[in-house]
Amino acid sequence: MTARNIRRTVVNNVMLSLTGVFAFLTVTILVLILGYLVYNGVTSLNLAFFTKLPLGPGQAGGGIANAIVGSVMVVAFASLFGIPIGFLSGVYLAEFGAGTKFAYVVRYTADLLNGVPSIVIGIFAWTVVVKPMHHYSALAGSIALSLMLIPITARSTEQFLLEVPRAMREGALALGASKWKSIATVIVPAARKGILTGMILGVARISGESAPLLFTALGNQYWCRGLMDQTSTLPVMIYKLATSPYDDWHQQAWAAGLILLGLVLIANITARVFLTRGASAPKS
Amino acid sequence: MSPSPKLQSTETSIPNPMASPTTTPAASAAPKAKMLAEHVNFFYGSFQALHDINIEFRENQVTALIGPSGCGKSTFLRNLNRINETLRGTRLEGKILLDGADIMAEDVTTIRRRVGMVFQRPNPFPKSIFENIIYGPKINGMVKGNAAEIVEASLRRAALWDEVKDKLHESAYALSGGQQQRLCIARGLAVNPDVLLLDEPCSALDPIATAKIEDLLFTLKEQCTIVIVTHSMQQAARVADQTGFFLLGKLIEFDKTDVIFKNPAKRETEDYITGRFG
Repeated sequence: MTARNIRRTVVNNVMLSLTGVFAFLTVTILVLILGYLVYNGVTSLNLAFFTKLPLGPGQAGGGIANAIVGSVMVVAFASLFGIPIGFLSGVYLAEFGAGTKFAYVVRYTADLLNGVPSIVIGIFAWTVVVKPMHHYSALAGSIALSLMLIPITARSTEQFLLEVPRAMREGALALGASKWKSIATVIVPAARKGILTGMILGVARISGESAPLLFTALGNQYWCRGLMDQTSTLPVMIYKLATSPYDDWHQQAWAAGLILLGLVLIANITARVFLTRGASAPKS
Repeated sequence: MSPSPKLQSTETSIPNPMASPTTTPAASAAPKAKMLAEHVNFFYGSFQALHDINIEFRENQVTALIGPSGCGKSTFLRNLNRINETLRGTRLEGKILLDGADIMAEDVTTIRRRVGMVFQRPNPFPKSIFENIIYGPKINGMVKGNAAEIVEASLRRAALWDEVKDKLHESAYALSGGQQQRLCIARGLAVNPDVLLLDEPCSALDPIATAKIEDLLFTLKEQCTIVIVTHSMQQAARVADQTGFFLLGKLIEFDKTDVIFKNPAKRETEDYITGRFG
């Protein structure tokens, strides 16, 4: 072997090992987080934790049922606003706005919005929703979260639509489909899997946000009485439990974290199972 | 935008098949022209891809368009169903007539329904075989409780029925490349087009699949007018009644296929046919 060949082999092996090591590191971190959560949280998990309202420090029993329901409600309404708006914006960006100045501005704004710290989104929602209404509410929380969901959904929808081969668009148009019809009946269905996955990841992402909810949904000791009432949510509940001075609350914080992670995981897995059924387009 | 007819033949050497009786084959029995292109110029941005194209496609005949890569034959074909319009920055001058009516003046979806197209690579939709075929009739409002008949008839016309009749509801991607291309032909036929455009339909297929598609063209031309762009001169010689030779965006020669291959009038055609370039 020449010196050059040896050098090549060495560099090749070093780089290969490095990537492997870091890939392993990534997985390890995830497993550590999961393991730590389970280890600390699982002892506090029982039926009451899922079905009862929180009790004071030192009192045995009690749960975070209001936070689970509150989180589901806030995220569901955020999706109700955020997903349609984000999806249709994404369709516009990919299919109608290509090359226009307006689309450029929309895309750029979406990217900026994506990068806005979530605490700032919270302050903004407080200013435009909470302040005029003179009270904190689940609705304000949903609006804050939907502001985060819109750009995520828009940009991922756009990306997956752009991946649909041009040949497929032309195939539909060549049969006499109008542009809108071809989008609705061929292009969006062809990109369906990716679009839905993007939406689910977006929803998973906002499910874990606490900062936008601190100034909007605030929190609630009791059951939330509707959209206009302030509500407890899992992330904010975790924050409150974890920053309290009580040991049994700390335990509960771990358990609540485990539940939040579990909910997100279930949503993810259900979606994936659902998505892998049926015909899909080949990548070309 | 359409140039004055007086300007034609003087400034270019392009033969005008409409005006010149010597290039009209079998004048007495000639089928009528289904589609006509008159003085067609086409631009991608500032680049002119087609120069003053004049050609006619006769009813129930197969016309082949041949020429080296980048000569404009596909670009020209894609103007016949106005699919080029979907590319930004393109511009068409001149006239293209379908049954005597200017296609630019008609509703674009109607034109595309009447002028079907099969693409270079099979492009079935990510749907079942059945749904692929019925897609066109559905969006054109042609299905009145007879979906199953339309699907069977279209697949039969594309000589694919026997191979897929037991798996109509399976994904179209389960078919081989050649079957997928015949599926795309069947999908195009399902809306009963007057003209069928084929853009190098066999370039991604093996010789056996190619032979099947060529066979198909002989039966299909009884039902519609066919224009096929092909890289293969043998294919043009086998399937076409008429052949047009494109070079650098110009239609150099257009005549009966026999004449083009055995006795071309133009030097460039002869050079290309005999393999001196391209």
